Amino acid sequence: MKLRAENVGRMYFRSSKNTNFFYAVESLDLELEEGKITVITGRSGSGKTTLINMLCGLLTPSCGRVLLDDKDLYASGDRERSLLRNRSFGIIPQGQTGLQCLTAAENVLLPVSMYGSSKGKEDKARILLEKLGIDDLWDVYSNELSGGELRRMSVARALINDPGIIIADEPTGDLDADTTVLVMELLKERARNGAAVLIVTHDKDVMPYADTVYTMEKGVLKKA
Amino acid sequence: MRFSVRIACKNIRRRPVRAALMCIIVLFLSFTAFMGGYLIISLQNGLDGYRARLGADIVVVPSSAQGHGTVDNVLLHGITGNYYIPQDSLEKLDGIEGIEKKTGQFYLTSAKASCCSVRVQIIGFDPETDFTVLPWISSSITGTLGDGDIIIGADIAYPADDCLRFYGESYRVAGQLEKTGTGLDNAVFTNRRTIRKMAESAAGSIERGSLRGVDTENAVSCVLIRVKDGYDSSEVADDINIHVSKVRATPSASMIGSVADGFGSVSVFISAAAAGIWLIAVVIMIAVFALMMNERRKEFAVLRVAGASGKMIVSAVSWEAALIGAAGSLIGLAVSLLLTAPLSESIRNHFSLPFMQPDIGVVVMLSAGAVIMPIIVGVAAAVLSALRITKNETGLLLREDA
Repeated sequence: MKLRAENVGRMYFRSSKNTNFFYAVESLDLELEEGKITVITGRSGSGKTTLINMLCGLLTPSCGRVLLDDKDLYASGDRERSLLRNRSFGIIPQGQTGLQCLTAAENVLLPVSMYGSSKGKEDKARILLEKLGIDDLWDVYSNELSGGELRRMSVARALINDPGIIIADEPTGDLDADTTVLVMELLKERARNGAAVLIVTHDKDVMPYADTVYTMEKGVLKKA
Repeated sequence: MRFSVRIACKNIRRRPVRAALMCIIVLFLSFTAFMGGYLIISLQNGLDGYRARLGADIVVVPSSAQGHGTVDNVLLHGITGNYYIPQDSLEKLDGIEGIEKKTGQFYLTSAKASCCSVRVQIIGFDPETDFTVLPWISSSITGTLGDGDIIIGADIAYPADDCLRFYGESYRVAGQLEKTGTGLDNAVFTNRRTIRKMAESAAGSIERGSLRGVDTENAVSCVLIRVKDGYDSSEVADDINIHVSKVRATPSASMIGSVADGFGSVSVFISAAAAGIWLIAVVIMIAVFALMMNERRKEFAVLRVAGASGKMIVSAVSWEAALIGAAGSLIGLAVSLLLTAPLSESIRNHFSLPFMQPDIGVVVMLSAGAVIMPIIVGVAAAVLSALRITKNETGLLLREDA
């Protein structure tokens, strides 16, 4: 599965300043290749999160297009795009993203249960949690988990559907060095199995896993 | 089970306080919808029953019959009284122009003593001239009302032997009238011959005082008059008041009018109170849902990230509101049904208005409305709030909450 951004940019209106609007992401091209890990680094506010939100169909670009296997992601309606996101994307957003009404296991199985039954995927969820070292938290509600446990839970949730595209925003942000290795090994394994992985991070421990590294500065993407 | 239903159930279970708060608001909506409707319909039924039962254009009573025991008190509140029109006044009524029909009624109050089964107002009418009672009671009896027979109001209980005792004599219950919501539900009807017999027995016993000097053979307590076409009942009543001494003639329209005015103001009060409570509850509901949805922006964003469409989120929120609404409105309905009897009694006593409970079909309709309407309002409020949030791009929601 291949994801390609063509002339993608995003402009924001900023009413409090005289400039009226600014580009969070300048028009850029980017291709995520199957089996490769791509890393984007850059200072806070440089446009990294805006870029990855556009790449996974969560934020409409002001210009350009995002192609998933040559299909324009934003040319389809909400339902089709949501289904594509569910089946083809594994997204690890920034911050804590556990649903409080669900247990850790139910959170991990959320993408599966959304469009069908989660039965048959439970073993897989258990293996993922085991690999991430939190299988003992299976029945624990997400509001009772620590920051690091929640982070690992959202990694497992992103991987449960075996997505072709994995997009992770600071996936190791709340993790210690050992757990970072656990998460990165898991992502590397997915890449080996053919997934295209994109990671936005400040974490230097992630760099050794990268096949390609980009830096982003004031909305402009440069190959490092 | 569908994903949206499942997630709605889990949200309710994990947020019991939030769900309980919403339930209470819905409960108020349901209660006011049912109670408001129930009370207004009951009062309207009572007014209709009162209007139908009066059946005459003018009511003539002795001037002495002031306050308790006047015809409207007997009709409305079941307050009993014994009063009689002097014979010479009755004769003068014959000379009044514009009267098409007139019929006399004899009132007798049974005693609260061992000689009588119940204390009620007994109304004796003349089957030969009557035009108000017979059309009404004909549906409750088969054949004619014989001597010694009585017809009883809907609220009077009678023993298995179908007989009630008044002043030591036993009288056969020939039929029971349908409920009117007026004082007539506690009255007993019989023909003149039978009530004369009762009056003679009473004169010889307990009620001696009030019947002293009364010519039970010819006396009447009130005369009901129907005026001829082309005559105005107010003018005829004025004519009677001027030319016939010791009586007071009242056009029945003014009696109904005063009750209707009372009904109107109580009905406006109930409607305004119900509308006010609804308005406040709806505003609170919309505000609470808006706040609740705002607080759940991150939750919606996570669902979108996992692949939920906007429609799925709106559906989950709708189910949540519908389930909470159903629980709240069913509890509200149960509370309403429990409080119906005491609240109706209180309103009836407080406002002194005829009151007749609606039949079961109307109660079922009101119940359905009291359950469905709050659910619709709740779901609409939740959907509007959810739509406002889901129309924002998920990327922006995530950025706000990061």
